[in-house]
Amino acid sequence: MIDFARVQKELQECTRDMEASGIRVSPKGDTLARLIGTIPGPIGTPYEGGTFQIDISLPDGYPFEPPKMQFATKVWHPNISSQSGAICLDILKDQWSPALTLKTALLSVQALLSAPEPDDPQDAVVAQQYLKDYQTFVGTARYWTETFAKASSLGVEEKVQKLLEMGFAEALVRSALEAVGGDENLALEKLCSG
Amino acid sequence: MFSDSITTASISSAHNARDLGKKRRANRSAKLKQCKLDARREQWLSQCTAKNKECKEEQNSGGQCRKGDKRSLENLEMSSRGEEMHGSIHQYSYFESPSNSPTSANSSILGGADSGTNFTGSNSSSSSSSSSSSGGSCSGCITEDEEGGGEDDGCLDDWEAVADALAADDEDKRQNLNPCSESPPERECRSQLVSPLDGMSLGGGSSKPECPKMVSGAWGNSRAWRPDDACRPSSLPNFSKQQSLPNPDRHYGGGVAWACNRVLPAPSSCPICYEDLDITDSSFLPCLCGFRLCLFCHKRILEADGRCPGCRKPYDTIVEAESSINGGNPTFRMARSCSMIARS
Repeated sequence: MIDFARVQKELQECTRDMEASGIRVSPKGDTLARLIGTIPGPIGTPYEGGTFQIDISLPDGYPFEPPKMQFATKVWHPNISSQSGAICLDILKDQWSPALTLKTALLSVQALLSAPEPDDPQDAVVAQQYLKDYQTFVGTARYWTETFAKASSLGVEEKVQKLLEMGFAEALVRSALEAVGGDENLALEKLCSG
Repeated sequence: MFSDSITTASISSAHNARDLGKKRRANRSAKLKQCKLDARREQWLSQCTAKNKECKEEQNSGGQCRKGDKRSLENLEMSSRGEEMHGSIHQYSYFESPSNSPTSANSSILGGADSGTNFTGSNSSSSSSSSSSSGGSCSGCITEDEEGGGEDDGCLDDWEAVADALAADDEDKRQNLNPCSESPPERECRSQLVSPLDGMSLGGGSSKPECPKMVSGAWGNSRAWRPDDACRPSSLPNFSKQQSLPNPDRHYGGGVAWACNRVLPAPSSCPICYEDLDITDSSFLPCLCGFRLCLFCHKRILEADGRCPGCRKPYDTIVEAESSINGGNPTFRMARSCSMIARS
């Protein structure tokens, strides 16, 4: 059974210092077992300026088992599958510790973006490019960031506009979209119920 | 002078009927205060004993023999303040009519004891020669006053002048003694401790609290209560530490506990389940790395991979290592947990 009390507190803590860390965790739907994490692309990397969403699903044994994390935003990175978004990171596997939290795990993922490990790749094609043609790798990664990591925020603006046209206040719309992790229909539901 | 004697007469006659109920109440609270005071006094005396035994002897004798003097001094002082002062009336009636109810006798004895302590405190700090000189001048003044009998006014003026001079003298001594000796801050502390109790017991909890303040203020004993006192900021924190936590290291033998605590501050809640740690949990140190967690989470981890969440090392080998370090003797761990319980 998931320790929901702990997850609840983690979310509160994460919300509290969201300004400082830039990392956001919000529930996806009405269960705390599925969450959406958002990390900003590290400055000074090809991922700078992008906002990356990570699907989080908590196993029953959480926090004694690691959370399952996967990029929902497409990323060009040696340790992240360009197809599935699967992350190759030790703390999400055998090096997980119950003392880690969703926030620290997401911070580690963010650190992975700025420090790729091509010798232990998740995506062999990206890793080969990183090792053999770094300039091309940087170009591709930047292009993917521009295309996918910023499009989602553009998408958010479109959703906000749509909901605004339905007659909701902008602040409410934005907070509702944030709360449901950017899902337009869920945000509409939340706005109608709240 | 004339009006003063009228006041005196009215106090002695009207007081008994008027304030009997108040006196009873005051008596009860005064007894309570006396108990507390005695306890604190003992504590202080024992501390003093540890420091300098021969000094203590002197203080005790000095305090005892000057108690009466001081009492009559207070009596005199208060009689001049007029009848609106409740505390002074207690003192006064006792001395004016010794066949009075035991209530007033008790309270004034208390007042005497208090002031005696005060006096002792001020004496203890100064050197023996200076204290005896000040005491001598005091008693001289008193004798003069007692001889004067009804002529309160003139004596009072004299006495006040002497008291002012003494206070100034006292302050000088304190300033002189402060940098070189340990006792002046203690004296400060003592007077701070006594003065509020003094005020409560004398005032009976119902009337003018400034009465005892003024009395002891003349002696410079409650000087620390004045906001404009230069000695106040430095001595006040010392006082609270000394009195409320007398030698925590000695009592708890807490050197080890403090060291442990400083290296790894115990969290208030389990970092795994975020529940509050109780005493058992917070004294539970399963890993040498110092990572603490509650017993439930520890059990859960032992059932799974059995590695410490803090350092990722397996718990079992660490426990074995620790027991081998201790030669299999659990006394060390016992002692440590005991000290931590005592601390928390």
